[in-house]
Amino acid sequence: MPALELKEVYAGYGEFRVLHGVTIEVGKGEIVALVGPNGAGKTTTLRTIMGMTTLYSGDILLNGNSIRRLPTHKRVELGLTMVPEGRRLFNHLTVYENLVAGALTRKAKEKLSDSLEFVFTLFPRLKERRNQLAGTLSGGEAQMLAIGRALMSRPSILLLDEPSLGLAPKLVIAIFDTVRRLRDEAGVTMLLVEQHVKHSLEIADRGYVMELGKIVLRGEARSLLTDERLRRAYLII
Amino acid sequence: MIDPAYVTQILINGVLMGLLYSLVALGLALIFGVMDIINFAHGDFVMLGAYLTFLIATYFLIDPTVTIALTVPLFFLLGIAVYKAIIKPVLGAEPLIQIAVTVGLLMFLRNLALAIFHAEPRGVPYTVFSTPITIGPITIPLSRAAAGAVSLAVLYIVHLLLTRTRWGIAVRATADDREAAALMGINVERVYYTTFGLGTALTALAAALIMTFSRADPYLGLLYGLLSWVIVAMGGLGGVVGVLASGLILGIIESFGMSLISAGARELFLYVTFLVVLWVRPRGLFGRR
Repeated sequence: MPALELKEVYAGYGEFRVLHGVTIEVGKGEIVALVGPNGAGKTTTLRTIMGMTTLYSGDILLNGNSIRRLPTHKRVELGLTMVPEGRRLFNHLTVYENLVAGALTRKAKEKLSDSLEFVFTLFPRLKERRNQLAGTLSGGEAQMLAIGRALMSRPSILLLDEPSLGLAPKLVIAIFDTVRRLRDEAGVTMLLVEQHVKHSLEIADRGYVMELGKIVLRGEARSLLTDERLRRAYLII
Repeated sequence: MIDPAYVTQILINGVLMGLLYSLVALGLALIFGVMDIINFAHGDFVMLGAYLTFLIATYFLIDPTVTIALTVPLFFLLGIAVYKAIIKPVLGAEPLIQIAVTVGLLMFLRNLALAIFHAEPRGVPYTVFSTPITIGPITIPLSRAAAGAVSLAVLYIVHLLLTRTRWGIAVRATADDREAAALMGINVERVYYTTFGLGTALTALAAALIMTFSRADPYLGLLYGLLSWVIVAMGGLGGVVGVLASGLILGIIESFGMSLISAGARELFLYVTFLVVLWVRPRGLFGRR
Protein backbone atom coordinates (compact mmCIF):
# COMPACT_ATOMS: atom_id res chain seq x y z
CA MET A 1 0.00 0.00 0.00
CA PRO A 2 1.43 3.42 -0.97
CA ALA A 3 2.03 5.92 1.84
CA LEU A 4 0.22 8.59 -0.18
CA GLU A 5 -2.08 8.12 -3.11
CA LEU A 6 -3.95 10.58 -5.34
CA LYS A 7 -6.74 8.91 -7.31
CA GLU A 8 -8.14 10.70 -10.35
CA VAL A 9 -8.04 14.05 -8.57
CA TYR A 10 -9.91 16.98 -10.10
CA ALA A 11 -9.25 20.16 -8.14
CA GLY A 12 -8.81 23.90 -8.39
CA TYR A 13 -9.78 27.20 -6.80
CA GLY A 14 -13.54 27.78 -6.78
CA GLU A 15 -14.58 27.95 -10.42
CA PHE A 16 -10.99 27.89 -11.64
CA ARG A 17 -10.21 24.25 -12.43
CA VAL A 18 -6.54 23.33 -12.46
CA LEU A 19 -6.12 19.56 -12.01
CA HIS A 20 -7.80 17.23 -14.47
CA GLY A 21 -7.60 13.68 -13.18
CA VAL A 22 -4.23 13.49 -11.44
CA THR A 23 -3.12 10.08 -10.15
CA ILE A 24 0.08 9.88 -8.13
CA GLU A 25 1.50 7.25 -5.76
CA VAL A 26 4.23 7.86 -3.23
CA GLY A 27 5.73 4.76 -1.57
CA LYS A 28 7.09 4.70 1.96
CA GLY A 29 10.69 5.94 2.12
CA GLU A 30 10.68 7.21 -1.46
CA ILE A 31 11.53 10.56 -2.95
CA VAL A 32 9.07 11.18 -5.75
CA ALA A 33 9.79 14.14 -8.04
CA LEU A 34 6.94 16.07 -9.62
CA VAL A 35 8.23 18.15 -12.52
CA GLY A 36 6.75 20.16 -15.35
CA PRO A 37 6.53 23.68 -16.77
CA ASN A 38 5.19 26.68 -14.88
CA GLY A 39 1.43 26.62 -14.54
CA ALA A 40 1.20 22.84 -14.97
CA GLY A 41 -0.48 22.47 -11.57
CA LYS A 42 2.41 21.18 -9.44
CA THR A 43 1.82 23.61 -6.56
CA THR A 44 -1.93 23.05 -6.83
CA THR A 45 -1.31 19.31 -6.50
CA LEU A 46 0.59 19.84 -3.23
CA ARG A 47 -2.00 22.31 -1.94
CA THR A 48 -4.75 19.84 -2.78
CA ILE A 49 -2.99 17.13 -0.75
CA MET A 50 -2.93 19.59 2.19
CA GLY A 51 -6.61 20.47 1.76
CA MET A 52 -6.15 24.06 0.64
CA THR A 53 -8.02 23.90 -2.67
CA THR A 54 -11.47 22.87 -3.87
CA LEU A 55 -11.55 19.14 -4.55
CA TYR A 56 -14.27 18.40 -7.14
CA SER A 57 -13.81 14.66 -7.43
CA GLY A 58 -11.30 11.89 -6.86
CA ASP A 59 -9.74 10.86 -3.59
CA ILE A 60 -6.58 11.32 -1.52
CA LEU A 61 -5.44 8.39 0.61
CA LEU A 62 -2.92 8.55 3.41
CA ASN A 63 -1.79 5.04 4.38
CA GLY A 64 -4.95 3.75 2.74
CA ASN A 65 -7.38 6.07 4.54
CA SER A 66 -9.22 8.85 2.75
CA ILE A 67 -8.31 12.33 4.02
CA ARG A 68 -10.35 14.30 1.48
CA ARG A 69 -12.79 15.68 4.04
CA LEU A 70 -10.23 16.65 6.70
CA PRO A 71 -9.17 20.26 7.36
CA THR A 72 -5.50 21.12 6.84
CA HIS A 73 -4.46 20.96 10.50
CA LYS A 74 -5.95 17.46 10.88
CA ARG A 75 -3.92 16.27 7.91
CA VAL A 76 -0.79 17.59 9.64
CA GLU A 77 -1.74 15.63 12.76
CA LEU A 78 -1.90 12.50 10.60
CA GLY A 79 1.67 13.02 9.42
CA LEU A 80 1.55 15.22 6.33
CA THR A 81 3.47 18.50 6.19
CA MET A 82 4.41 20.90 3.43
CA VAL A 83 7.29 23.30 2.98
CA PRO A 84 5.45 25.97 1.02
CA GLU A 85 6.83 27.86 -1.94
CA GLY A 86 8.58 31.03 -0.85
CA ARG A 87 9.20 29.49 2.61
CA ARG A 88 6.43 31.44 4.33
CA LEU A 89 8.29 31.73 7.63
CA PHE A 90 6.75 33.50 10.61
CA ASN A 91 8.97 36.55 10.19
CA HIS A 92 8.12 38.24 13.49
CA LEU A 93 8.89 35.10 15.48
CA THR A 94 12.39 33.97 16.39
CA VAL A 95 14.03 30.93 14.80
CA TYR A 96 13.30 28.96 17.96
CA GLU A 97 9.64 30.08 18.03
CA ASN A 98 9.24 29.13 14.37
CA LEU A 99 10.42 25.64 15.22
CA VAL A 100 8.05 25.43 18.21
CA ALA A 101 5.23 26.64 15.94
CA GLY A 102 5.96 23.61 13.76
CA ALA A 103 5.47 21.27 16.72
CA LEU A 104 2.12 22.35 18.17
CA THR A 105 0.17 19.21 17.28
CA ARG A 106 -0.56 16.84 20.14
CA LYS A 107 1.76 14.15 18.85
CA ALA A 108 4.65 16.50 18.03
CA LYS A 109 4.44 18.29 21.39
CA GLU A 110 5.72 15.29 23.34
CA LYS A 111 8.75 14.91 21.07
CA LEU A 112 9.65 18.62 21.05
CA SER A 113 13.14 18.33 22.56
CA ASP A 114 14.03 15.31 20.39
CA SER A 115 12.82 17.11 17.27
CA LEU A 116 14.75 20.27 18.16
CA GLU A 117 17.92 18.25 18.57
CA PHE A 118 17.30 16.52 15.25
CA VAL A 119 16.81 19.81 13.40
CA PHE A 120 19.78 21.50 15.10
CA THR A 121 21.99 18.54 14.17
CA LEU A 122 20.77 18.72 10.58
CA PHE A 123 21.20 22.51 10.42
CA PRO A 124 23.74 23.69 13.03
CA ARG A 125 23.39 27.23 11.67
CA LEU A 126 19.85 27.39 13.04
CA LYS A 127 21.10 26.63 16.53
CA GLU A 128 23.51 29.58 16.33
CA ARG A 129 20.66 31.83 15.24
CA ARG A 130 17.94 30.46 17.49
CA ASN A 131 17.09 33.79 19.10
CA GLN A 132 17.19 35.82 15.90
CA LEU A 133 13.96 36.91 14.17
CA ALA A 134 13.20 34.69 11.19
CA GLY A 135 12.70 37.76 9.00
CA THR A 136 16.39 38.63 9.35
CA LEU A 137 17.80 35.31 8.06
CA SER A 138 19.65 34.96 4.75
CA GLY A 139 18.00 33.05 1.91
CA GLY A 140 19.83 29.80 2.61
CA GLU A 141 19.19 29.96 6.36
CA ALA A 142 15.55 30.81 5.76
CA GLN A 143 15.16 27.70 3.59
CA MET A 144 16.84 25.59 6.27
CA LEU A 145 14.36 26.96 8.79
CA ALA A 146 11.41 26.29 6.48
CA ILE A 147 12.48 22.65 6.16
CA GLY A 148 13.38 22.40 9.86
CA ARG A 149 10.02 23.86 10.91
CA ALA A 150 8.18 21.32 8.76
CA LEU A 151 10.22 18.46 10.25
CA MET A 152 9.20 19.56 13.77
CA SER A 153 5.73 18.06 13.26
CA ARG A 154 7.38 14.64 12.76
CA PRO A 155 5.88 14.12 9.32
CA SER A 156 5.71 10.69 7.76
CA ILE A 157 5.38 12.46 4.42
CA LEU A 158 6.97 15.78 3.56
CA LEU A 159 5.80 17.83 0.58
CA LEU A 160 8.44 20.22 -0.73
CA ASP A 161 7.44 23.06 -3.04
CA GLU A 162 10.42 24.53 -4.89
CA PRO A 163 12.86 24.32 -1.96
CA SER A 164 15.77 25.60 -4.06
CA LEU A 165 13.93 28.60 -5.51
CA GLY A 166 15.95 31.81 -5.36
CA LEU A 167 19.04 30.22 -3.85
CA ALA A 168 22.64 30.56 -5.06
CA PRO A 169 23.91 27.49 -7.01
CA LYS A 170 26.04 26.28 -4.10
CA LEU A 171 23.04 26.41 -1.76
CA VAL A 172 20.88 24.62 -4.33
CA ILE A 173 23.29 21.68 -4.18
CA ALA A 174 23.20 21.81 -0.37
CA ILE A 175 19.39 21.70 -0.29
CA PHE A 176 19.26 18.69 -2.64
CA ASP A 177 21.87 17.00 -0.49
CA THR A 178 19.73 17.64 2.60
CA VAL A 179 16.66 16.18 0.90
CA ARG A 180 18.59 13.04 -0.06
CA ARG A 181 19.97 12.67 3.46
CA LEU A 182 16.50 13.03 4.98
CA ARG A 183 15.42 9.98 3.00
CA ASP A 184 18.61 7.94 3.45
CA GLU A 185 19.31 8.73 7.11
CA ALA A 186 15.91 9.58 8.58
CA GLY A 187 13.59 7.60 6.31
CA VAL A 188 11.38 10.58 5.48
CA THR A 189 9.06 10.04 2.51
CA MET A 190 8.98 13.04 0.19
CA LEU A 191 7.08 14.45 -2.74
CA LEU A 192 9.32 17.04 -4.36
CA VAL A 193 8.23 19.78 -6.74
CA GLU A 194 11.21 21.41 -8.43
CA GLN A 195 12.34 23.62 -11.29
CA HIS A 196 15.70 21.88 -11.30
CA VAL A 197 14.45 18.84 -13.21
CA LYS A 198 17.83 17.14 -13.61
CA HIS A 199 18.90 17.59 -9.97
CA SER A 200 15.62 16.34 -8.63
CA LEU A 201 15.44 13.27 -10.86
CA GLU A 202 19.01 12.44 -9.85
CA ILE A 203 18.08 12.12 -6.18
CA ALA A 204 14.50 10.86 -6.68
CA ASP A 205 13.38 7.24 -6.86
CA ARG A 206 10.51 7.88 -9.22
CA GLY A 207 9.12 10.84 -11.10
CA TYR A 208 5.96 12.27 -12.62
CA VAL A 209 5.86 14.84 -15.39
CA MET A 210 2.92 17.18 -15.36
CA GLU A 211 1.51 19.39 -18.10
CA LEU A 212 -1.70 21.43 -18.13
CA GLY A 213 -3.10 19.75 -15.04
CA LYS A 214 -2.45 16.18 -16.18
CA ILE A 215 0.26 13.61 -15.62
CA VAL A 216 1.82 13.06 -19.05
CA LEU A 217 4.75 10.85 -18.13
CA ARG A 218 5.69 8.68 -15.17
CA GLY A 219 8.39 6.21 -14.30
CA GLU A 220 11.65 5.38 -12.57
CA ALA A 221 13.67 8.55 -12.08
CA ARG A 222 16.65 6.99 -13.86
CA SER A 223 14.67 6.09 -16.93
CA LEU A 224 13.01 9.52 -17.03
CA LEU A 225 16.46 11.09 -17.05
CA THR A 226 17.17 9.32 -20.30
CA ASP A 227 13.69 9.76 -21.80
CA GLU A 228 14.05 11.48 -25.12
CA ARG A 229 10.87 13.56 -24.82
CA LEU A 230 11.74 14.84 -21.37
CA ARG A 231 15.37 15.52 -22.30
CA ARG A 232 14.24 17.60 -25.22
CA ALA A 233 11.73 19.56 -23.13
CA TYR A 234 13.71 20.26 -19.97
CA LEU A 235 17.23 18.95 -19.78
CA ILE A 236 19.03 20.00 -22.88
CA ILE A 237 18.57 23.72 -23.14
CA MET B 1 4.58 79.82 37.11
CA ILE B 2 3.39 76.26 37.01
CA ASP B 3 3.46 74.42 40.31
CA PRO B 4 5.58 71.22 40.04
CA ALA B 5 3.21 69.36 42.40
CA TYR B 6 0.32 70.24 40.10
CA VAL B 7 2.24 68.96 37.05
CA THR B 8 3.11 65.74 38.92
CA GLN B 9 -0.55 65.35 39.84
CA ILE B 10 -1.62 65.73 36.20
CA LEU B 11 1.08 63.33 35.07
CA ILE B 12 0.04 60.66 37.60
CA ASN B 13 -3.61 61.03 36.58
CA GLY B 14 -2.58 60.64 32.95
CA VAL B 15 -0.43 57.57 33.54
CA LEU B 16 -3.17 55.84 35.55
CA MET B 17 -5.80 56.53 32.89
CA GLY B 18 -3.33 55.58 30.15
CA LEU B 19 -2.83 52.15 31.75
CA LEU B 20 -6.58 51.59 31.80
CA TYR B 21 -6.91 52.77 28.19
CA SER B 22 -4.23 50.29 27.18
CA LEU B 23 -6.22 47.49 28.82
CA VAL B 24 -9.39 48.58 27.00
CA ALA B 25 -7.57 48.67 23.64
CA LEU B 26 -5.63 45.43 24.15
CA GLY B 27 -8.54 43.21 23.13
CA LEU B 28 -9.14 45.20 19.95
CA ALA B 29 -5.43 45.12 19.13
CA LEU B 30 -5.32 41.33 19.56
CA ILE B 31 -8.37 40.80 17.36
CA PHE B 32 -7.16 43.20 14.67
CA GLY B 33 -3.62 41.81 14.72
CA VAL B 34 -4.72 38.20 14.33
CA MET B 35 -7.86 38.43 12.19
CA ASP B 36 -7.30 41.67 10.31
CA ILE B 37 -10.79 42.83 11.16
CA ILE B 38 -11.72 46.04 12.97
CA ASN B 39 -14.42 45.38 15.52
CA PHE B 40 -16.31 48.67 15.70
CA ALA B 41 -18.45 47.28 18.53
CA HIS B 42 -15.43 46.92 20.83
CA GLY B 43 -16.26 50.04 22.87
CA ASP B 44 -19.85 48.87 23.20
CA PHE B 45 -18.70 45.62 24.73
CA VAL B 46 -17.14 47.85 27.42
CA MET B 47 -20.53 49.59 27.77
CA LEU B 48 -22.32 46.25 27.99
CA GLY B 49 -19.80 45.10 30.59
CA ALA B 50 -20.36 48.29 32.59
CA TYR B 51 -24.13 47.67 32.74
CA LEU B 52 -23.65 44.04 33.64
CA THR B 53 -21.25 45.08 36.40
CA PHE B 54 -23.83 47.63 37.61
CA LEU B 55 -26.63 45.03 37.63
CA ILE B 56 -24.66 42.33 39.46
CA ALA B 57 -23.05 44.74 41.94
CA THR B 58 -26.45 46.31 42.71
CA TYR B 59 -28.32 43.03 43.00
CA PHE B 60 -25.83 41.33 45.30
CA LEU B 61 -24.58 44.54 46.91
CA ILE B 62 -20.98 43.64 46.18
CA ASP B 63 -17.99 45.60 45.01
CA PRO B 64 -17.88 46.03 41.19
CA THR B 65 -14.44 44.40 41.10
CA VAL B 66 -15.88 41.18 42.55
CA THR B 67 -18.28 40.86 39.61
CA ILE B 68 -15.43 39.97 37.25
CA ALA B 69 -15.57 36.41 38.56
CA LEU B 70 -18.86 36.20 36.66
CA THR B 71 -18.55 38.78 33.87
CA VAL B 72 -15.12 37.85 32.52
CA PRO B 73 -15.93 34.15 31.83
CA LEU B 74 -19.35 35.20 30.52
CA PHE B 75 -17.78 37.69 28.10
CA PHE B 76 -15.25 35.10 26.96
CA LEU B 77 -18.18 32.91 25.90
CA LEU B 78 -20.06 35.91 24.49
CA GLY B 79 -16.99 36.74 22.37
CA ILE B 80 -16.87 33.21 21.00
CA ALA B 81 -20.60 33.31 20.21
CA VAL B 82 -20.30 36.69 18.45
CA TYR B 83 -17.30 35.43 16.49
CA LYS B 84 -19.11 32.29 15.31
CA ALA B 85 -22.40 34.05 14.56
CA ILE B 86 -21.34 37.23 12.79
CA ILE B 87 -17.57 37.61 12.44
CA LYS B 88 -16.61 34.26 10.92
CA PRO B 89 -18.97 34.61 7.93
CA VAL B 90 -17.37 37.93 6.92
CA LEU B 91 -13.68 37.08 7.46
CA GLY B 92 -11.88 37.79 4.21
CA ALA B 93 -14.89 39.68 2.84
CA GLU B 94 -14.80 43.24 1.51
CA PRO B 95 -13.82 45.76 4.24
CA LEU B 96 -17.14 47.57 3.73
CA ILE B 97 -19.08 44.41 4.56
CA GLN B 98 -16.99 43.83 7.68
CA ILE B 99 -17.56 47.41 8.79
CA ALA B 100 -21.31 47.10 8.18
CA VAL B 101 -21.48 43.96 10.33
CA THR B 102 -19.56 45.28 13.34
CA VAL B 103 -21.19 48.73 13.15
CA GLY B 104 -24.51 46.89 13.09
CA LEU B 105 -23.53 45.10 16.29
CA LEU B 106 -22.56 48.47 17.80
CA MET B 107 -25.97 49.95 16.91
CA PHE B 108 -27.75 46.94 18.32
CA LEU B 109 -25.89 47.06 21.66
CA ARG B 110 -26.19 50.84 22.02
CA ASN B 111 -29.90 50.89 21.28
CA LEU B 112 -30.50 47.89 23.48
CA ALA B 113 -28.90 49.81 26.36
CA LEU B 114 -30.96 52.91 25.53
CA ALA B 115 -34.18 50.90 25.45
CA ILE B 116 -33.56 49.14 28.76
CA PHE B 117 -31.75 51.77 30.84
CA HIS B 118 -32.63 55.02 29.00
CA ALA B 119 -30.00 57.75 28.87
CA GLU B 120 -29.66 58.09 32.62
CA PRO B 121 -26.18 57.04 33.93
CA ARG B 122 -26.11 54.25 36.50
CA GLY B 123 -23.45 53.95 39.18
CA VAL B 124 -22.72 51.08 41.56
CA PRO B 125 -24.06 51.51 45.14
CA TYR B 126 -20.67 51.25 46.76
CA THR B 127 -17.04 50.35 46.24
CA VAL B 128 -14.21 49.74 48.66
CA PHE B 129 -12.04 51.89 46.41
CA SER B 130 -13.79 55.19 47.13
CA THR B 131 -11.19 56.71 49.45
CA PRO B 132 -8.32 58.76 48.06
CA ILE B 133 -4.64 58.31 48.87
CA THR B 134 -2.83 61.52 49.80
CA ILE B 135 0.92 61.87 49.49
CA GLY B 136 1.96 65.43 50.35
CA PRO B 137 0.27 67.75 47.87
CA ILE B 138 -0.75 64.88 45.58
CA THR B 139 -4.10 63.12 45.81
CA ILE B 140 -4.79 59.86 43.99
CA PRO B 141 -8.25 58.29 44.09
CA LEU B 142 -7.77 54.71 45.26
CA SER B 143 -10.09 53.48 42.47
CA ARG B 144 -7.89 54.99 39.75
CA ALA B 145 -4.71 53.69 41.36
CA ALA B 146 -6.22 50.20 41.56
CA ALA B 147 -7.47 50.42 37.96
CA GLY B 148 -4.00 51.40 36.77
CA ALA B 149 -2.26 48.69 38.77
CA VAL B 150 -4.65 45.93 37.69
CA SER B 151 -4.42 47.06 34.06
CA LEU B 152 -0.64 46.93 34.14
CA ALA B 153 -0.71 43.47 35.70
CA VAL B 154 -3.16 42.15 33.10
CA LEU B 155 -1.15 43.66 30.23
CA TYR B 156 1.89 41.85 31.59
CA ILE B 157 0.00 38.56 31.91
CA VAL B 158 -1.27 38.80 28.32
CA HIS B 159 2.28 39.63 27.20
CA LEU B 160 3.50 36.45 28.92
CA LEU B 161 0.64 34.46 27.37
CA LEU B 162 1.66 35.64 23.91
CA THR B 163 5.39 35.13 24.30
CA ARG B 164 5.76 32.16 26.63
CA THR B 165 2.95 29.76 25.85
CA ARG B 166 2.17 27.44 22.94
CA TRP B 167 -1.14 29.21 22.52
CA GLY B 168 0.71 32.53 22.22
CA ILE B 169 3.08 31.17 19.60
CA ALA B 170 0.11 29.79 17.65
CA VAL B 171 -1.61 33.19 17.84
CA ARG B 172 1.46 35.11 16.69
CA ALA B 173 2.21 32.59 13.94
CA THR B 174 -1.38 32.90 12.69
CA ALA B 175 -1.11 36.71 12.77
CA ASP B 176 2.03 36.48 10.63
CA ASP B 177 0.77 33.99 8.01
CA ARG B 178 -2.49 32.13 8.56
CA GLU B 179 -2.00 29.71 5.67
CA ALA B 180 1.51 28.74 6.77
CA ALA B 181 0.13 28.34 10.31
CA ALA B 182 -2.47 25.85 9.05
CA LEU B 183 0.27 24.00 7.16
CA MET B 184 2.14 23.62 10.46
CA GLY B 185 -0.88 21.94 12.01
CA ILE B 186 -2.18 24.99 13.88
CA ASN B 187 -5.96 24.99 14.22
CA VAL B 188 -6.46 28.51 12.87
CA GLU B 189 -10.18 28.44 13.62
CA ARG B 190 -9.49 27.77 17.30
CA VAL B 191 -6.90 30.56 17.37
CA TYR B 192 -9.54 32.90 15.96
CA TYR B 193 -12.32 32.15 18.38
CA THR B 194 -10.10 32.02 21.46
CA THR B 195 -8.56 35.37 20.48
CA PHE B 196 -11.98 36.92 19.99
CA GLY B 197 -13.12 35.42 23.30
CA LEU B 198 -10.09 36.78 25.15
CA GLY B 199 -10.39 40.19 23.48
CA THR B 200 -14.01 40.42 24.58
CA ALA B 201 -13.33 39.09 28.10
CA LEU B 202 -10.77 41.88 28.58
CA THR B 203 -13.50 44.48 27.98
CA ALA B 204 -15.52 43.05 30.88
CA LEU B 205 -12.48 43.34 33.13
CA ALA B 206 -11.88 46.93 32.04
CA ALA B 207 -15.58 47.72 32.55
CA ALA B 208 -15.45 46.56 36.20
CA LEU B 209 -12.44 48.81 36.81
CA ILE B 210 -14.20 51.74 35.12
CA MET B 211 -17.27 51.22 37.32
CA THR B 212 -15.21 51.83 40.49
CA PHE B 213 -14.97 55.53 39.59
CA SER B 214 -17.44 56.13 36.77
CA ARG B 215 -20.99 55.28 35.76
CA ALA B 216 -22.57 53.22 33.02
CA ASP B 217 -24.40 55.04 30.25
CA PRO B 218 -25.45 53.97 26.75
CA TYR B 219 -22.82 56.17 25.10
CA LEU B 220 -19.84 54.82 27.04
CA GLY B 221 -18.93 52.83 23.92
CA LEU B 222 -18.38 56.03 21.97
CA LEU B 223 -15.44 57.17 24.11
CA TYR B 224 -13.87 53.77 24.69
CA GLY B 225 -14.38 52.66 21.08
CA LEU B 226 -12.68 55.79 19.79
CA LEU B 227 -9.87 55.41 22.31
CA SER B 228 -9.28 51.82 21.31
CA TRP B 229 -9.14 52.54 17.58
CA VAL B 230 -6.73 55.40 18.16
CA ILE B 231 -4.46 53.21 20.28
CA VAL B 232 -4.55 50.36 17.77
CA ALA B 233 -3.82 52.72 14.88
CA MET B 234 -0.93 54.23 16.84
CA GLY B 235 0.70 51.10 18.15
CA GLY B 236 -1.53 48.07 17.89
CA LEU B 237 0.77 46.12 15.63
CA GLY B 238 3.64 46.52 18.07
CA GLY B 239 2.20 43.90 20.40
CA VAL B 240 1.42 44.53 24.06
CA VAL B 241 4.33 46.98 24.36
CA GLY B 242 2.98 49.06 21.47
CA VAL B 243 -0.48 49.15 23.03
CA LEU B 244 0.94 50.15 26.41
CA ALA B 245 3.10 52.94 24.96
CA SER B 246 0.22 54.34 22.89
CA GLY B 247 -2.21 54.13 25.82
CA LEU B 248 0.20 56.01 28.09
CA ILE B 249 0.81 58.71 25.49
CA LEU B 250 -2.93 59.23 25.05
CA GLY B 251 -3.62 59.20 28.79
CA ILE B 252 -0.94 61.78 29.52
CA ILE B 253 -1.88 64.08 26.63
CA GLU B 254 -5.54 63.86 27.62
CA SER B 255 -4.76 64.60 31.27
CA PHE B 256 -2.70 67.69 30.45
CA GLY B 257 -5.24 68.84 27.87
CA MET B 258 -8.17 68.49 30.24
CA SER B 259 -6.37 70.15 33.15
CA LEU B 260 -4.66 73.01 31.35
CA ILE B 261 -6.97 73.73 28.41
CA SER B 262 -10.50 72.47 28.79
CA ALA B 263 -11.99 69.56 30.68
CA GLY B 264 -14.87 69.32 28.24
CA ALA B 265 -12.75 68.69 25.17
CA ARG B 266 -11.69 65.13 26.04
CA GLU B 267 -12.46 63.60 22.63
CA LEU B 268 -10.82 66.54 20.89
CA PHE B 269 -7.42 65.74 22.42
CA LEU B 270 -7.77 62.10 21.36
CA TYR B 271 -8.60 63.05 17.77
CA VAL B 272 -5.84 65.63 17.50
CA THR B 273 -3.23 63.21 18.87
CA PHE B 274 -4.46 60.58 16.43
CA LEU B 275 -4.27 62.92 13.46
CA VAL B 276 -0.80 64.16 14.39
CA VAL B 277 0.51 60.61 14.78
CA LEU B 278 -0.98 59.51 11.47
CA TRP B 279 0.45 62.58 9.81
CA VAL B 280 3.97 62.06 11.15
CA ARG B 281 3.99 58.23 11.08
CA PRO B 282 1.25 56.93 8.79
CA ARG B 283 1.98 53.32 9.74
CA GLY B 284 1.73 54.03 13.45
CA LEU B 285 4.42 54.34 16.10
CA PHE B 286 5.27 50.66 15.84
CA GLY B 287 4.15 50.13 12.26
CA ARG B 288 5.38 47.03 10.55
CA ARG B 289 3.32 46.79 7.42
